[in-house]
Amino acid sequence: MKPIDHKKVLAERLSARFGRRTVLKGLGAGLLTAATTGAPSVVRAQQSGHIKIASIKVIDTLDPHFTGFLSSIQIINNIHNGLLKIVYDGKNVTFEPDLAESWDIEDEKVHVFKLREGVMFHDGTPCDAEAVKFSLLRVKEGEPKSPHAWKLELLETIEIVDPLTIKLTFSQPYAFLPVALNGSTGRAGTIVSPAAVQKYGADYGRNPVGTGPFKFVSWKENDAIELEANPDYFEPGLPKLERATFVLMNEASTALAALFSGQIDGMTDCPMQLVDQVEAFPNANLYGEIEGNYTFVGMNCKRSPFDDINLRRAVAWALDRDTLVQQAYFGRAQKAYTPISPPMTEFFDPDIATSGRGQWFDLEKAKSFRAKAANQGEIEAVYLMAERGPVGTRVAQTVAPMLAEIGIKAKLELVEPATWVKRRNASDFDLYDFEWVADLDPDETLYPEFKSDGAWNFGGWVNTDFDDLCAQAQVELDPAARSTLYNKAEDLLMDEAGIAIMAHMPIYKVFSTKVKGFQYIPADLVNLHTVSIG
Amino acid sequence: MLFKALGKIAQTFVVLFVVSVASFGLLKLAPGDPIQIMLGSEFSQASYDSLRAELGLDQPFLVQYANWAIQFVQGNWGTSYVARAEIFTYAFKEALPVTLTLASFSLLFAILVGVPLGVLSAIKKDTIFDAGSAVLALTGTAFPSFLLGILLIWFFAVKLQIFPVMGYVSPWENFWLGIYHMILPGLTLSTYFIAMITRLTRATLIEVLEQPYIAAARARGEPNWRVVWVHGVRNIAMPLVTILGLQLGVLLQGTVLTETVFNLPGVGQMLTSAVLGREYLVVQAGVMMTAVLFIGVNLLVDLSYPFLDPRLRTSK
Repeated sequence: MKPIDHKKVLAERLSARFGRRTVLKGLGAGLLTAATTGAPSVVRAQQSGHIKIASIKVIDTLDPHFTGFLSSIQIINNIHNGLLKIVYDGKNVTFEPDLAESWDIEDEKVHVFKLREGVMFHDGTPCDAEAVKFSLLRVKEGEPKSPHAWKLELLETIEIVDPLTIKLTFSQPYAFLPVALNGSTGRAGTIVSPAAVQKYGADYGRNPVGTGPFKFVSWKENDAIELEANPDYFEPGLPKLERATFVLMNEASTALAALFSGQIDGMTDCPMQLVDQVEAFPNANLYGEIEGNYTFVGMNCKRSPFDDINLRRAVAWALDRDTLVQQAYFGRAQKAYTPISPPMTEFFDPDIATSGRGQWFDLEKAKSFRAKAANQGEIEAVYLMAERGPVGTRVAQTVAPMLAEIGIKAKLELVEPATWVKRRNASDFDLYDFEWVADLDPDETLYPEFKSDGAWNFGGWVNTDFDDLCAQAQVELDPAARSTLYNKAEDLLMDEAGIAIMAHMPIYKVFSTKVKGFQYIPADLVNLHTVSIG
Repeated sequence: MLFKALGKIAQTFVVLFVVSVASFGLLKLAPGDPIQIMLGSEFSQASYDSLRAELGLDQPFLVQYANWAIQFVQGNWGTSYVARAEIFTYAFKEALPVTLTLASFSLLFAILVGVPLGVLSAIKKDTIFDAGSAVLALTGTAFPSFLLGILLIWFFAVKLQIFPVMGYVSPWENFWLGIYHMILPGLTLSTYFIAMITRLTRATLIEVLEQPYIAAARARGEPNWRVVWVHGVRNIAMPLVTILGLQLGVLLQGTVLTETVFNLPGVGQMLTSAVLGREYLVVQAGVMMTAVLFIGVNLLVDLSYPFLDPRLRTSK
């Protein structure tokens, strides 16, 4: 392996095409890492310490290709690696090679990944091009179908060049690729051990085998998930911990009490209502920022009364976002004007509040739209709510009086979460509120949610111009041009009030001050790679 | 007497059958689709159908019930949909012992505190001690265990740091550590029962102490402690056992909240997450286990009467 030569070749290529390739900006930084750490670790890490972290949300499976929960990804990401990973320097989110040592772009549709040498899965089998191909195919066309298959829809061929080199050919240039191929929110790019998948079949999610800094030990239902250090991990000097336990809990206040008394060392998620307590406690550190998410009130565009654009617009302008942030989100969230959120640094406009784009509170404007609505009588609308999401039913309760101001009587229907999902998916509602979370790219934040026949387009808003703009943006590699396309797309969504946007939420984690070296990444991750405990 | 006992046992099985059909049916009627929950927000119709067939959910209700019942009796409780865990191991070997430990510890604690308190109240009837214990008992019955648990945690575990906030250690593996972890949850769960047992013991004992045989014992010149603790307390056993058997439902219900607050991996937590996740088979197993426990204990209570009261030993 000649990392320096390789770097030179790639740097030349990059400089020749730099203008069009900045979307892949993680590349430069990643190469640096590759150059210094190219060979598998010779120096073995000295692991010590046992961290116990409360996980208060559902863990469905530890199979990266099948999970639907970020709470699962938090654990999965400590066991597995992706081809790429997310890196955050406090300002910018970038994508860097993880299992891939380098990433070369032959042309817009052909990507060549060279893998690190000598990386082994926890079961002792090698993580080579075959394993990567196996994992990608498992996502793309495996049976049963992975919920993340759409992320690799454009992947046409996978060619194994040599045991450590894999060439991916896409049918079109694919700007979403860095997100799709990382082991975090992308999930599709997480590499699993083919031998373990063959051995465990559908039970792989209970016996995960990856290449990550921690090996899976056990999962006791409603009790704990245990991990132990992988002494052969490929990043030199990591991990620092010897053991990690994710204590499975239902009650956040108990978890906080356990943290305060020192029985546990952290929480993978700290609900907004507990943040004040954490801030007042001297021996805990709070980590959290506004992440790539947005919350909204969804309206059913498929049926009366919200098939009426004027009524939807009235709702969009009637929501007092300041009050919502204070009352529903404990003063912790940030008003949203459009879906694209602050961590998408290349697409988010920090001056959006004064740009005139998007939706905001203007009761006069809301009333004038209401006056144009087809139905001028009092409208009764079914508002579907459940004790779910970050703040339960608080949003619905705060929104209802705002809707009353414009003559919409929200009939709040409280159902249990499973029923809520079923009715939402069947578009059996007039209004509901929801949040799309942990997105790093506008594609995943807009396209599957609002394209005309999109699987998640529960409100059924249809606009073919929006579809075209997103489809164009997906294959546009120039970030400035891409940004323009997405801005146009979300402006359409906001103008036609497919949804009424509310807020971008901060996502918090909390660790005791004994815990050192936690690297916060604004994608709801709890990577323990660099964590140590004193 | 034997005939009577057999009749009771037969009754028990009929009740169990009805319980199993009812719970199986109710859960199916509840809204929410287990397959949709399993597959998450993105899935194809094909994977939906294949999973449905794999789980046998496309079969008629009676076939599903019959299949399940036959397997269940054989100890083959199946694998949970979402958790992919062996239900027999999870429910019977892992969760049940936790709940049983918590319930029996609380009950034992309640009896050890409640009976002496009740006896003292009865002896010192209408004194300041009696009034004090009445107030205590009333507070105990009225205080929601959920809130009590949180208060106990904040005071004893966070402020004073003398007990752990949460967690379960099996007393069979490490006796003292197990008991140590059980104290706060046990206290939380037993408050209601301490109060109930105190009041019951007091009321019954006051009545018993007015009986002629007590007067006779006193007349024989037996010391006061013997009159109360041997002749008196022996006679409160029957009403106490009856009420405790019937209140077992309240106790099991209390374990759900207590387990949630103290994060104990017992049947209560298992049932809560299974109901929310529509894990049909797990809910079934949990309901059947609690039903068997409840009905079984009450059967034992029925069968114990002849031992507690010799007058019932001769069948009429």
